[in-house]
This record gives sequence, structure tokens and C-alpha cells, in this order.
Amino acid sequence: MTARARLAVFLAAAAVIAAFFTAECTDLPPFGTDSHPYGERAVAAALDRRTANVVSSVNFDIRAFDTLGEEPILFGTVLGATLLLRQARDERHRRAEAERVMPTTRLFGALLLPVTLVVGVYIVAHGQLSPGGGFQGGVVLATALHLAYVAADYRALKKLRPLAVLDVADSLAAASYSLIGLAGLIAGGAFLKNVLPLGTFNTITSGGTVPVLNAAVGVEVACGLIALLAHFLDQTIERTDPDQQRYGDT
Amino acid sequence: MTEAALLPLAVAVPLLGAALLAVAGRILPRTGCDILATGCAGAEVVCLVLLWTHNSGRLATADLGGWPARLGIVLAADPIGAGLALLVAVLVPVVVYSWRFFEEPTGEHAGAFPALILLFEAGMAGFALTGDLFNAFVFFELMGAAAYALTGYRIEDPRPLHGAITFGIVTSFAAYCSLLGIGLLYARTGELNLARLGQQLASHHTDLLTAGAFVLIATALLVKAAAVPFHFWLPDAHAVAPTPVCMLMSGAMVELGVYGIARIYWTVFSGPGGIPHQAFHTTFTALGLLTALLGALMCWQQRHLKRLLAFSTISHVGLFLIAVALLTPDGATGTAVYVAAHGLVKAALFALTGVLLDRYGSVDEHGLHGKARDLRTVGVLFVVGALALAGMPPFGTGLGKALSEDAAGRWQPWLPAVFVGASAVTGAAVLRAGLRIFWGAGPALRSRPDEDETTGEGEEPEIRSPQRTPPRAMTIVPAVLLGLAVLVGSLPAIAAALARGAAVFTDPAGYTAAVLTHPSTPPGPMPAGDWTATGVLLGLLSTSIAAALATAAVRKPSPTLPAHHPAARLVRALRRSHSGHLGDYLAWLALGVAALCIAIAAQT
Repeated sequence: MTARARLAVFLAAAAVIAAFFTAECTDLPPFGTDSHPYGERAVAAALDRRTANVVSSVNFDIRAFDTLGEEPILFGTVLGATLLLRQARDERHRRAEAERVMPTTRLFGALLLPVTLVVGVYIVAHGQLSPGGGFQGGVVLATALHLAYVAADYRALKKLRPLAVLDVADSLAAASYSLIGLAGLIAGGAFLKNVLPLGTFNTITSGGTVPVLNAAVGVEVACGLIALLAHFLDQTIERTDPDQQRYGDT
Repeated sequence: MTEAALLPLAVAVPLLGAALLAVAGRILPRTGCDILATGCAGAEVVCLVLLWTHNSGRLATADLGGWPARLGIVLAADPIGAGLALLVAVLVPVVVYSWRFFEEPTGEHAGAFPALILLFEAGMAGFALTGDLFNAFVFFELMGAAAYALTGYRIEDPRPLHGAITFGIVTSFAAYCSLLGIGLLYARTGELNLARLGQQLASHHTDLLTAGAFVLIATALLVKAAAVPFHFWLPDAHAVAPTPVCMLMSGAMVELGVYGIARIYWTVFSGPGGIPHQAFHTTFTALGLLTALLGALMCWQQRHLKRLLAFSTISHVGLFLIAVALLTPDGATGTAVYVAAHGLVKAALFALTGVLLDRYGSVDEHGLHGKARDLRTVGVLFVVGALALAGMPPFGTGLGKALSEDAAGRWQPWLPAVFVGASAVTGAAVLRAGLRIFWGAGPALRSRPDEDETTGEGEEPEIRSPQRTPPRAMTIVPAVLLGLAVLVGSLPAIAAALARGAAVFTDPAGYTAAVLTHPSTPPGPMPAGDWTATGVLLGLLSTSIAAALATAAVRKPSPTLPAHHPAARLVRALRRSHSGHLGDYLAWLALGVAALCIAIAAQT
């Protein structure tokens, strides 16, 4: 197709789809009514399991099997990046150069990094109580580490980033979700059953398996995200194509 | 073990295996990794065989986390869903086993490829076994994430990356559509469980929202199933993916798309307040017809062997869609048998193509003319595979085709002709290639540089053996797969079990009862699953047409239609539409969604 024909076909089709979708949306139930069929059931079930954050209860208890499928998507993405961004036969490795950074920026990074790490751990650990959880906290943790790159240089990040350890931790955390599921099967007769003591409502030990699964996901997301970014950063910063060899020191 | 354990284990085993391999790959030598991967794949086969024998013709369910369907996720497997998961599980050890011979990066990346294969398997098993709409979407995405990476595996060549990116973007685009559709349904009903969704829709009359949600949800599945015009990614991805990945994608993943459409239609939309049977029937028969014919036509035009096999898959998907759209237990039985046998035969053919790729660094029908005369066993297996693809008895493909033809013929007497035609042409194309490559039949073909076509030359061998003779296992694997395809067709127990499964599959009331209240419902009247005289004759007919077509094509290579003849123009236009341009593919995808919206809305 020529670019023009392609655009014409797409716009015509998109117009039809948009018209249908708009018409479909007018059939939706109106906003602000009292009827929340699933919401009411889920809130009751979450409170019954003494989990204050209902969203976490849905993600890690009531529909924990969805997360069992979502977590390997990230794990698979990391594996896929490992595979696709491996050093090709015609690529050479070169060491990242030290960058000049303003001392104030460096100081800011050095102060912010530990604070961000604490925030990340807090968000993971309080997933069953307040908004947040393993996915969100894991992203914060991964971001914290990359402050080293933003506020200093790639060499600083590499010193802070034990990639082999993170890779193994990523895999083990991914496996532990399934293993907790199996523990529920053995102890409670149903896969991913919440078999741990439920604790006192609105305390950090409440929710049974919810905080444990949250922690597993937190570790997996943090390690996975760091590893994923590491592959991309390595590719852009430390690899040279054969036609760029003049920069390379192999 | 009970079904409450077997169902989640079928997903958990490959997931655990993948995590284990990713760690073990750092320590174990290559052999250790391969043994571990084969072990995990074997454990999955055992798990699914137990499930298959356990639920003899019933719907097995597992309430995950102990939550009922109104809150949580329920896994539900009938013999069709469990059978598809089993087909995947049977193909995976074969794939992992043949992976042994392939070049793989060493060091910290070892084990990543088999780990991704296991994640791919977990996604497919989860998709086949789940009884929850959103959960199906999650596993659909898992399948995708693993498949994109596997497709792009050979990073030294820009073509695999291009194929993988096209595959990834087209599928993701369609997945967004599906998510929108799921959102619409959830907004109306507050449910995600398939059975409960079906129940809740009944309390509302069919309106645009129902029709639109159905079309949007079907989009992702049609892309996965590679129905025309959603199919463009498939030949591009198959041409470049490593051979073992092609075996899994063509053998099972594509068929899961058809399964998903049928499963979701039957459980959610087949009742009152859904999509009328007539609308589904007409629309999907038309879609199937288009897919079967275009797939067969394009298959005949190819000389790149992997693209040829890919288009043959598209053509067969068309046939599956037609049989599924009949909405009868007989149609479902035929499709189930056909899918099982087609998966095995197609995997065998890809494995044999892999031998050629390894030996000659080419999968070009013209370039390899007469070159593989000494690979006699491979040649014989290739020809047998071609005949099986054409539907020769006693292969399971023949039985599946016969059962589907019988079911389709009862609705429209001319429909069996489509089955005979499509299977004959695709079988003939493979046979033609086999005769040329392994026997050097007919005159050698000059390449026509003025024509824009994908040749299949200049591919990189995938095998790491320094001596250029293929390992013996590379011929044993396809022979075993073809043997299994014969078993599907000749062991009455398999077809009977699938027929029982089809009776359960097409009984939404029984499904709802089993998922929501767990009684052991007796399955309805069992559809037939045996050979008939007509079936055998039609199978022989399509095989002989295939043989005749292939012989004619080999004798007289280029049919000399003048370039301005309308037929030649049509073929040229069709070939040019498979341009490899991502924008084109997305435009076709949007066009397909718009056409489906209009077709379904007009009939509801």
C-alpha cells in the first residue's frame, strides 16, 4: 500500500470503530450509582480476611492467580531482554567513561538514594494496609538505584548493582510465588489459599499470605526492573557496532 | 491427585521450571540445563495426562484460593481444553529435546531459551484451562511476551527482529482492543467469570455494547488465530523464528486463538442477551472461508518453505473456524481432532524443514532443487507429512477433516468442497516442494529477480554440530510426531474422548452448573467420532488431488498466465499486500475490526 492508501484505510476504519465505541459507551451504566456488584463482594471478602487495602486483597488473595500470571510476564520480559540484547558476534564491549558531575548534584543523589530505598521498602511492606504494594514499591526501589546513574555516572551505578545476585533473586522471587501457592494447596486444599494466620486488622502483620506475596512481587519487580534496564543501558552505553569501532577499546 | 491440585499444577510446574532454569543455567553445563528442561516438560506431560484421564468427559474445576466463582478465579477443564494443553505439553519436550542441538549463547545467558519456552508453555496451559475472562487475557499476554522474544532469537540477522517487532506490535494492538472489550463487559455485569458473565448478560437485552464487547474481545483472539485480515504477522514471524519455536506457534498457539473464540462465545455470548447464533454462524463462516481460500492461494505461491508452511497453517485455521462456526457438537468434535493432528503434522514438517536449513543454510524450494537427494529418510517423511496435511487416512488430519466435512455438509452441501480444496492445495504445495528438493523432480527453476518474492536463501544454519550431517534425533522427532498423528486418527479412544469433550464444550448450561455449583452433570448425547466411508473417500480424494496438483506443478513449473490477466493481477496484488510493512498490517487490522463491528451489529 502507498502511504496515502494506508492512511486512508486506517482513518476510515478508525472512524467506524470510534463511532461504534462511542455508541457502545452510551449503553454503559451511568456514573455515580449505588450499584457496585463486584466492589461490594470484594470489600466484604477483604475485610473478612482482615486486609485493609482491598486492592491488595484482590490482587494477592481473591484473584491472586492473575498475579501469578502477571509476574512471569515481567520475568519473561527480563529473560527476553537478556536473550535479545546479548552481545552479538559483531559487537564489541567498551568501558563506560567517567562523567563530570556538579558536586551538588552528586550530594543530592547521595542523600536521596537511601530515602528512596526506605520509601520503596515501606510501600512494599505496607501493601496490605495502604495504597501501594509489591508492584509499586518494586518500581520505587529500582528507581532508587538508578539515582546513582542520574546523579553520578554509569560506573557508579555498576558498582551499586550486583547484577548476578539480582538476576538470581529475580528468579527465586518468581519461583516463590508459585511455591506459596503450592503451600496453600498442601496446607489448605486449594492452590494459593490464604493459610497463614490473619493477624489483627490494620496492623503490618495482618492479611495472612498477602504481605508475603507482596514481598515476593516487590523483590521480583525491583530486581527484574533493574536487570531489564541494565540490559538496555549496557547496550547503549557499553556496546559498539563494528562501524563505530574507533570509539572502542574492546 | 485431585483436580483441585492438577489444574493449578499444570500452570505452576512450567512456571517453577522456568525460574529454576534461569538460576541453574548459571551453574549447570549445557547438558544439565537440557536435562532439567526436558524433565520439567516431562513433568508437565504427566500432570496433564493425569488430568485428561481423571476427568473422563466431565468438566473438572478448581476454585483457586478457595474462593467461589463470584469472587475469585475458577479453573475449568473439559477434555477439549485439557486436550489442547496436553497437545502443547507433548510438543514442548520435543522442542526442548531438539533444542539440544542448537547453538545457544553460553555464560550467564544459558538456560534463558528453554526457560522462555517453559513460560510460553505456562501461558498456553493457563489460557486453555482458565474459566475467567481477565485471567485468560493475562495468560494471553504471557504467551505473547515469551513468543516475541523467542521469535527474535537470532539477533545477528535484522529479519528476525523485524518479524518479532511486527508480531509484538500487531498482537499488542489487538490486546488493547480486547482489554477494552473486557472493560465494557465488566462495567455492565461486574463479573469476570465466564459462566457468571453468561448468566448476567441474560438479564439484559442484546444491544450495541454486547456486540461491541464481543467484537473487541474477539479481535485479539483472531489475531492470535491468524484469521484473514488479521493474519499478516504470522508468515513474517514464522519465516524468521527458530524452527522449534515455529513448531510450537503453528502447532498449538495459533489454534488456541480459535479455541478462545469458541470457548468465550459458548460460555458468555451464546445465551439470551448475547450474540444470536445466526450472527456468529454467518460471520465466522465467512471469515473462515476467506481465511481458508486466501491461505491456500498464498501457500501455493510460496517458495520459502517456512512461509509456505505458515500459509498452510492460515488455511487450516480457516477450516477450523468454519467447523467451529457450525455451533454443533459434531463441528466441535471435528475441529478438536483436526487441531490435534494438524498440530503434530505441522510440527513434524517444521522439524524436517529445520534439517534442510541446518544442512544447506537455505529453505528455498527453487534453490534446493535436487540438492537433498541423499537425505532419503527426511524426504520420505516430508512427503508423508505433505500427504497427511492433505488429509490422507488414517492420519488424524484425515479423520478431523472427515468429521468436520460431515458436520458442515449437513448445513451447506457445498462446504465439504472447501475442506477438500484447501487441504488438497496446501498439501500439494508441500508435496511439490518435497518432490523438487528431495527427488529433484521436474526441471530446475530459474530465479526471476524481477519479481518481488521472499526466496528463503541466505538463512543461517541453527545447529551447532561441526559435521554437516544432521543428528539422528532430527529425523526421529518428526517420525514420532507423524506416528502420533496416525494414532489420533486410528485409536478410536482418542476421538471418542474428544467427542465427549465436544458434547461438554457445546453445553453452556452444563458448564455454568459445573463451575458455579459443582454437580457432576452427565454429558449430553455424544457426537460421532468414527471414520465413515464418505470420510475415507473424501480424504483419499483430497490426497489424490494434492498428488495430481503437485505432479502437474513439478512437470510444468510456471503456469504462463499473461501478466495483465485479471487472475495474475489478483495474485500479484495479494502478494504485494503482504508487504512486511507494520503500518499496512495495522491498517488491515483496523479494517478487520471495523468490518466485524458492522457485520455483528447488523445481525443483532
